[in-house]
Amino acid sequence: MGLRPFVIRRCIEIAVIFFVIMTVLFVLFRLAPGDPVERMVDPSMTPEDAQLLMESMGLDRPVWTQYLYYLKNMATGNMGISFHYGEPVIHILMDRLPNTILLFTSAIILSALLGVFLGKIAAWRRGERTDMLMTVGALFCHTLFLPWLALIMIWFFAYHVGWFPITGMVTPAVWIDPDAGMISKALDVLHHMALPLMTLVLTHFGSYLLIMRSSMLDTLKEDYIITARAKGLTEKTIRDRHAAPNAALPVVTSVGLSLAFSINGGALTETVFTWPGIGRELVFSVSHSDYPLAQAAFLLIAIVVLTANLLVDVLYAYLDPRIRY
Amino acid sequence: MIWERRRRCLILLFLLTTAFFACHEGTRSNSLRIGLVEEPRTLNVWLASDANTRKVLSLIYQPLYVVDPETLDLVPWLAESMPMYDPDARSYTIFLRSARWSDGTPFTSRDVAFTGRLIKSFKVPRYASKWRFIERIETPDARTVTFYLKKPMATFLSGTLATPIVQAKEWSAIAEKAKTTEKPLATLINHRIHHPVGTGPFTLEQWCRGAFLHLKKNPLFFGTGQAINGHTLGPFFDDLVYTVFGTSDVAILALKKGSIDMFWWPIQPGYMADLNRREDIRLFTNEKSALYFMGFNLRRLPFNDVALRRAVAYTIDKDFIVSRILQGQGTKMFSVVPAENRFWCCTDLPRYGDGLSRERRIKTAFQLLSDAGYTWAVPPVDAAGNIQPAKAIRLPGGRPMGRFTILTPPADYDPHRATSGLMIQEWLRKMGMPAYSRPMAFSSLLQQVKGKHDFDAFILGYGRLRLDPDYVRNLFHSANDKPRGWNMSGYHNSTFDGLADRSTSEMDPIKRQVLVMDMQKLIARDLPYFPLYKPSVVEAVRRDRFEGWVEMLEGIGNIWSLCMVKPVNNHGA
Repeated sequence: MGLRPFVIRRCIEIAVIFFVIMTVLFVLFRLAPGDPVERMVDPSMTPEDAQLLMESMGLDRPVWTQYLYYLKNMATGNMGISFHYGEPVIHILMDRLPNTILLFTSAIILSALLGVFLGKIAAWRRGERTDMLMTVGALFCHTLFLPWLALIMIWFFAYHVGWFPITGMVTPAVWIDPDAGMISKALDVLHHMALPLMTLVLTHFGSYLLIMRSSMLDTLKEDYIITARAKGLTEKTIRDRHAAPNAALPVVTSVGLSLAFSINGGALTETVFTWPGIGRELVFSVSHSDYPLAQAAFLLIAIVVLTANLLVDVLYAYLDPRIRY
Repeated sequence: MIWERRRRCLILLFLLTTAFFACHEGTRSNSLRIGLVEEPRTLNVWLASDANTRKVLSLIYQPLYVVDPETLDLVPWLAESMPMYDPDARSYTIFLRSARWSDGTPFTSRDVAFTGRLIKSFKVPRYASKWRFIERIETPDARTVTFYLKKPMATFLSGTLATPIVQAKEWSAIAEKAKTTEKPLATLINHRIHHPVGTGPFTLEQWCRGAFLHLKKNPLFFGTGQAINGHTLGPFFDDLVYTVFGTSDVAILALKKGSIDMFWWPIQPGYMADLNRREDIRLFTNEKSALYFMGFNLRRLPFNDVALRRAVAYTIDKDFIVSRILQGQGTKMFSVVPAENRFWCCTDLPRYGDGLSRERRIKTAFQLLSDAGYTWAVPPVDAAGNIQPAKAIRLPGGRPMGRFTILTPPADYDPHRATSGLMIQEWLRKMGMPAYSRPMAFSSLLQQVKGKHDFDAFILGYGRLRLDPDYVRNLFHSANDKPRGWNMSGYHNSTFDGLADRSTSEMDPIKRQVLVMDMQKLIARDLPYFPLYKPSVVEAVRRDRFEGWVEMLEGIGNIWSLCMVKPVNNHGA
């Protein structure tokens, strides 16, 4: 099979999967217990008022009709209007998406860099105390309960020491100030980003360290490393120029996949640090039965993950023609 | 060369770090910073349904009348005086205060009439029932508005006249456009408002989604410098900034650190000891217009028997719930109307088991059940009158009582109700009843109880009851016993229905008070709901920033406070 038919076949498969995901999401939210209207009414409102509210949300129609409207809207790129915000959900998600990408992409890249750096040292010093300390440390950090760690970080670095702001993404006083320039605003965002970033890096770098260490140990047994030693190259050059770049390939694959999943944010991280991203909106929309917002958020994640998968498949097929058959 | 490069790098790093940490949280002495746990969702007043959104919009859009913080009586706000009622014409005439909208245009009777007509023509859900009985609205002049009622309606004053008034100029174009669409109501309530025009003490300056919302003092606010009901109004500060915090823990840390001046959310008892120790924090404890209760399903066994419901009421130790579960931050309730709602609350009601010892409660409940024909394999009180663990209670016909559940919200949603459910389960088991407390996700609980009526008993609560007691009619009128209806217990009593119907149309407050009291007596006698407690509202502010907070029912977070607090002297006014 040529590359083009392969790509077309994968695109069709992904379209079918996307349709299934769309339908499953619709059904799941309707089957889930809870009623969007019940959270919006109080005893001063009559059942007729509640009925009007349902009508305004389109929930008075039969489920099949709602499903057909949902499909029709999706086909035209209309993901619906949030019950609580009263705005097109796509606006809400696009508003939050850059914040999530900024935090989580930075966290993944920094974690990977730290993991690769420490992983290669651990592998190079295999069996020594440094290796043991790094491996145990990585496992320890990887298994820390994130909300607990986040609260401890806030308490110590933001409240006790006072180096960082207590949660949020911006300082109102800076952003309200008409004299504040772009640089001070950018620095303000970075200042707020530091604590969640440190927390995420602490809990994520361990997995990259372990992947790197394992891969590096395999690489160090390769013939070209022995050749490099025979050539009389320094230990540092062998480690950093010859072994590490090759050993880092599995980490790069892992980072690629993590980046695709990073758009769903981290509900816990975003909640504790009050980071206005997709994760917090997901929690809100599901807990308040805001169907359009929840469906759109999950669909957005599905789109990014499916697209990433498609790209990886196409790349693999391009690099290794055997995959197409 | 290498050292030179390293030195430059170090200097650059030092400069960046200095700049980075220089981004401290600035404090403007004349801005009040309030912490919220959730972000407001919309600026469209017709869509707003959550408390946090109302905390913002209530400072922008104003009603004709508000409640006085001390007496809880209605006070003219956008209105100049109390309404004049003409019983023959069934009309209310209201004279309006001289006021301006935040865009500078005058506030007139046309705006009031427009608001009413808009609600009626679009049937805006949150307000439609409060305006349905208005026949027509006339505006004899720019500062006079007359409402003609189809029938007498007692909720007109506290319900209809508490509606926020919107500007005809701003909303008429939106309404006209909405009318041309397929779904006018959906278009109206989903219209995105960027810069709301109001008559309130503040106007919107900036909303940085997910981060903060900045309001500025409205220089055209009608109340500035005025004494309304003896309260001289400001606002006395320029900026009001709402900041969002994901959790209470973090918000309280921010308060302690001085990043916010007030946390507008009830403080849980667990934080109080720490906050009480601090000299820079002040706690305010106020009562809440709330009702937390145990409800029974009167449609099926075993709770269709009033004797059983009364026996259950006797076994419940409210003192324990308030002192141990609420840690003293609440009060017992005996009526479905909170005691602080003094005019409407009936105090002459049976207080099942109040003040009795554990032994006395069990004996009274045992006596009640025995008299009603209930029997036990092992009764809770033996022949010698000693208390013993009861086993296997049987219904009056001799059938064993089947296992029943008490549905409660989960502990992470409301630990008080979840723990109360567990305690009640234990107290009922001591009477030989197969009670099982079952925490359930809040949405599921509502669906089970209100939508499907598939339950035995439940513990729920209303956190913000209106002062007008019309909700008592809504909660127990037999016409509301339907899926999604408020009569969740399935209470049917024609006497109650008659009283409730009369109470809605009784325009004389004193006569209506008698009717509402009688309604409460019936509820206390028949016990479709057994009132348990209401938690207090504890709020925290920083002492060193603002003073002059106004305490009232529901706490210090109210329009009076925000119109009256002043920066403390060391910050200057």
